[in-house]
Amino acid sequence: MSTLGTRTGTTSPRPGELLLKVDGLAKSYTSKGKRTDIIGNLTFSVNAGEVVCLVGPSGVGKTTLLKCLAGLHPSTGGEMSIDGRRIYSPPPEMALVFQDYSRSLMPWLTVEKNLRLPLRHLRLPQSEVRTRILDALAAVGLSHAAKQYPWELSGGMQQRVAIARALAYRPEILIMDEPFASVDAQTRFDLEDLVLKIRDDYGMTVLLVTHDIDEAVYLSDRIVAIGLRPAVVLEELTVDLPLPRNQLDTRALPRFAELRNHTLSLIQHASAKPTPSAMEDAVPGAAGAPA
Amino acid sequence: MPDGVRLSPSARRASRSGEPRSLGRFAHLAYGVLGAVLVLGLWQAAAASGRFGSGLPSVLETLSALAGLLGTAAFWSELGATIGIAAIGLAVSSVIGVVFGVLAGRFPLVRSATLAVTEFLKPIPPIVVLPLAVMIWGPTQQMAIFLVIVGCALAIAIQTIAGVEDVDPVALSTARSYGIGTAESLWRIVLPSSLPFIGTAMRIAAPASLVVTVVAGLLGGSPGLGRSIYLAQSAGEVANMYALVVVLGVLGVAAQGISSAAERRLLHWHPSFRKTGS
Ligand SMILES: Nc1ncnc2c1ncn2[C@@H]1O[C@H](COP(=O)(O)OP(=O)(O)OP(=O)(O)O)[C@@H](O)[C@H]1O
Ligand SMILES: [Mg+2]
Repeated sequence: MSTLGTRTGTTSPRPGELLLKVDGLAKSYTSKGKRTDIIGNLTFSVNAGEVVCLVGPSGVGKTTLLKCLAGLHPSTGGEMSIDGRRIYSPPPEMALVFQDYSRSLMPWLTVEKNLRLPLRHLRLPQSEVRTRILDALAAVGLSHAAKQYPWELSGGMQQRVAIARALAYRPEILIMDEPFASVDAQTRFDLEDLVLKIRDDYGMTVLLVTHDIDEAVYLSDRIVAIGLRPAVVLEELTVDLPLPRNQLDTRALPRFAELRNHTLSLIQHASAKPTPSAMEDAVPGAAGAPA
Repeated sequence: MPDGVRLSPSARRASRSGEPRSLGRFAHLAYGVLGAVLVLGLWQAAAASGRFGSGLPSVLETLSALAGLLGTAAFWSELGATIGIAAIGLAVSSVIGVVFGVLAGRFPLVRSATLAVTEFLKPIPPIVVLPLAVMIWGPTQQMAIFLVIVGCALAIAIQTIAGVEDVDPVALSTARSYGIGTAESLWRIVLPSSLPFIGTAMRIAAPASLVVTVVAGLLGGSPGLGRSIYLAQSAGEVANMYALVVVLGVLGVAAQGISSAAERRLLHWHPSFRKTGS
């Protein structure tokens, strides 16, 4: 952390330049002496200012991938880098919104103090901290809940607090694991538009895992579909829908339906396939060697 | 041990949601008074029967002895000494116990290095150390404070370790992903998450610190009510002795009440204390 901290903010990549690179990533878990390869030779990249959605069947290893990227789990093969620097520990330019959002909020802190928690060690001026917190809460529509405790809020509100905390941190890249899973349809649309807005306003790069194909198509510049065990990238799909997007018009485009159906068939294909036994024919590195 | 601790808050929560609170509280109080009256009645009857001779004064004799004691300066200074020893001992114990518990709970190396010693010390009651402490310090406050620490610090440490092990790994990962360092994470994540366990430990340790203080006075001659009881007994002032025991009982209840109130205040966010149900 200390070695990386000095570099932030100096020369962040311009929009369109390579920001995050995952090259031949492999990850296996070993429990009771038995090794399970979850991810095998996974390669993709994210450019600055892009919104990229990761889609894939449940249990394929999306959360595992994000935890490796965030420097929380050691990978077992391949390389990951951000801004050209290898990732070994949590990179300071990254914020992660966990799938277990409610467990990631501290019950002894009010909403406001939960947002303040990761800002303390940045040693920002108090006025800046206050502005960031107020802005982030306003962005997710929770200005009124600043003094409440997370457990006094609904699941969807808690999820928005977790998102606001990441926004207040002002990362270069925001990584979210199924962030809108427990909000109602209207809030979900609002939050999707919020993601597009923070990309436009702050130039933030977003990498997001979702189970909702429509959401992936609506949000993304690019969709990365992953599947199989051990997981590899099945296809990268450029979403050539016009910007700015709009919940009503964009979703009504014929191209939207095409992209959606294509992605859906990819996922169904991936989950229908009998997963090959990870023990037998999944030597890490072999799966996608030609790529 | 951690299981028992985690059970107690949830059990409390269950009983609270089971029936209207005001009625529960009233009944609780009424039964409490009834129980106390019953015990006093039995005591009075036993004393009146004369079977215990002068070994058991009546309730009235004891109360009048108590009233007499309350008028003497010596009583108040001994009471102050008791509270002082117990409070200082408890404070030092909690600092030692919490600091050591957090480190041992968080760093396996510390844990392994100290496990053998702590397991060995666990079943040893502070009484055993008393002769040694008296040899070093004589019948002094320091000696009694030392005994309180011996009696309380380890239990607090063990609870703290259990609390630290119970910290949600997601909360820790969150801190780590935001670049929060080890020390800050110990202070701002690990310590507050462990507070429910530490609170339980303190609720048990507070009366225990009084018990040890009294024993130190009774058997080791350190200042305080324990020594007063010993002196009353050897002077044959039986009613005074019982009056002092009554005072100790009241002190114990107060200690328990204060630590419970502090716990409730500090842990208002914990599921067992939340006012608004979730
Ligand atoms: N700590 C762990 N130890 C062993 N196996 C694990 C561990 N964490 C996850 N796994 C396994 O790795 C696989 C992928 O899990 P992961 O949580 O990454 O899936 P996911 O794609 O995020 O699924 P979902 O969409 O349901 O959230 C699962 O089979 C899971 O059982
Ligand atoms: Mg997941």
